[in-house]
Amino acid sequence: MEREKVLELKQVIGKKLNRPMLYYLDLCTRCGLCYDTCHVYQGIPKKEYSPVGRAEVVRRVFRKYFKPAGKFFPWWGDAHEFDENLMEELREAAFSCTGCRRCTMFCPFGIDMPYILGIAKELLIAYGNAPEELVMLADGAVEKGKSIDMFKEGFRGVIKDLEQEVQKLIGASSSDGLIPMEKHGANILFVGLSGAHSIIYPAAIFNAAKEDWTLSYFEAVNFGYFAGDTEKSNFIANRIINEAKALGVKEIVIVECGTAYRIPKFLMGPLPFKVSSIVEVIYRYIKEGRIKIKQGIVSEPVTWHDPCQLGRNGGIYEQPREILQIMANDFREMNPNCEYNWCCGGGGGLVALDNEEFRIKSGKPKKEQIEKSGASMVVTACENCHLQLSTISQGYNMGVKVESLTKLVGENLII
Amino acid sequence: MSGYLSYFILIPMVYIAFATLIFGLIYRFYSIWKAPAPVGTGAIFPKKGSKVSGLIYDAMLVPMAYAKQKGFWFIIMLFHIAFFFLFLGHLELVADFKFIQIIPHRIFLGGGLVGIILMLTTLYFLFRRFGTPYREISIPEDFIILLVLFFCILFGSILHLAERYSDWGAVLRVDINVYRNWLQSLLLFKPQLSYNITELSHYTILVLHVLFANIFLMMFPFSKMIHSVFTFLAHYRKRN
Repeated sequence: MEREKVLELKQVIGKKLNRPMLYYLDLCTRCGLCYDTCHVYQGIPKKEYSPVGRAEVVRRVFRKYFKPAGKFFPWWGDAHEFDENLMEELREAAFSCTGCRRCTMFCPFGIDMPYILGIAKELLIAYGNAPEELVMLADGAVEKGKSIDMFKEGFRGVIKDLEQEVQKLIGASSSDGLIPMEKHGANILFVGLSGAHSIIYPAAIFNAAKEDWTLSYFEAVNFGYFAGDTEKSNFIANRIINEAKALGVKEIVIVECGTAYRIPKFLMGPLPFKVSSIVEVIYRYIKEGRIKIKQGIVSEPVTWHDPCQLGRNGGIYEQPREILQIMANDFREMNPNCEYNWCCGGGGGLVALDNEEFRIKSGKPKKEQIEKSGASMVVTACENCHLQLSTISQGYNMGVKVESLTKLVGENLII
Repeated sequence: MSGYLSYFILIPMVYIAFATLIFGLIYRFYSIWKAPAPVGTGAIFPKKGSKVSGLIYDAMLVPMAYAKQKGFWFIIMLFHIAFFFLFLGHLELVADFKFIQIIPHRIFLGGGLVGIILMLTTLYFLFRRFGTPYREISIPEDFIILLVLFFCILFGSILHLAERYSDWGAVLRVDINVYRNWLQSLLLFKPQLSYNITELSHYTILVLHVLFANIFLMMFPFSKMIHSVFTFLAHYRKRN
């Protein structure tokens, strides 16, 4: 590799060396306790797909360029310089990880392995080897953020059509104003996705609860974060944060998307408004008696899949279970569940990549969990999980129906 | 062993080792302190226990290791508890500490058991690395540190066990003050290597023990041994 490129890549690593990164890179003893905690390793038992195996690829270059021992005695820490093979290993490591942090939970030293892979992703971007799909989607989101005024009129037209769908759902006399936009001082700014379903059902719920809310012009999903581009990731997240500040809302509510929830909630520092998941808001409305849902409407055996970013990384465990238990006659837990739950294999932007065969294999633990539960319906609250669970169901011919919690609630409101 | 070499190992190298350990640790913490603070949190839910009690619980009792491999957890705990006793035992080689003598005992603490436990557990850690999948993730550093530690404990145990239990014990027995004079002279920066030390029948074993201990201390801040202090930082972030 050319010297200039090596220097550029070294600078990329240097920029990522904040406090936690420094101790995460150094404190692993390679005890191997994380080895089989990864769903990918369970499906494809190769060192490259173990958490420690992935992190070691990053550590090898870190040691080479940032540790005297790596420079003078590379054999000591298996230090390795940048080359084509290593960049390929970094890509394999970074984009086989969903960032579920199950390994972090099991690590006896508390090392955040996906955090370390942030270096790998940033290196791949600098090297021009990051997945094109994610980079393009991130660029699109950035472009929309820069020139939102161009998109507004077209978006309002689409929303007008969606208001009619909401009207049907809640039996309103008129569709006008069912999806408010640019409403200053509203209680809630709701951030959806590009799919109509991600707006219609929450809108029905907000209207049923007589909430003072407004819809964001932006999609909640952050492809900059998935690609590992810190700059774009912050820009994409800040579009929504700035919109919320400009509107003066009290709370932003994120659609069923785990990462989109985790970023403003936990990764952007203190914000002048509350950040909630739509799941928390539905639960709140039910508890406050603002909405009522049909009891026992789901007669088939149903189970709940904890999206990693809502559960293990977000602390939302009880709320969706309580909501589901109202609607389902036969609710079953998967085992393990909550913080120990297996990742489905769709997070980290992996569902957006051309890797279906890989995802079916890495979804093996989830497939086994669902089968053991005996459920014929899996409910979840994350778009990535939804897509991946459907892929697993089809890939293994399971015939399991995958449902979104918000959709289930939206369709079964008692008005 | 050459007189100059053994002198170097027992006096200047001990200072070098402790200076490397202390300044190395200070440097490592300073590097982290001056690095940019992260934005946001690295929390894992649920956060069981308070920040402090939970942190101590996670870092010192490693419950996740227990959840994953109970046998391995037992060996880890055995190793670290023995290491703690080893530290206490070495304190008594420097001076009297009443809190260590709560249960009266002859120095060195543990009657040799501490060293034997450490040797066996270190050997377990070493041989565990030769099996799949641990072999694949191990790097030379992992083996070298365990070997250094093993030889350090081996020579230390020979000193202790031979004196305490062999038929030659009476001959090998060393007045504790011989060690104390040497170690206290080091501590007071008035190093002395008296004939009482150099004429010990097991002098070479002592020099080898100190040599491996020095190497271990010097490697500590710059190797994976740093996990013993950095783990608190990582667990804190997991609960923050």
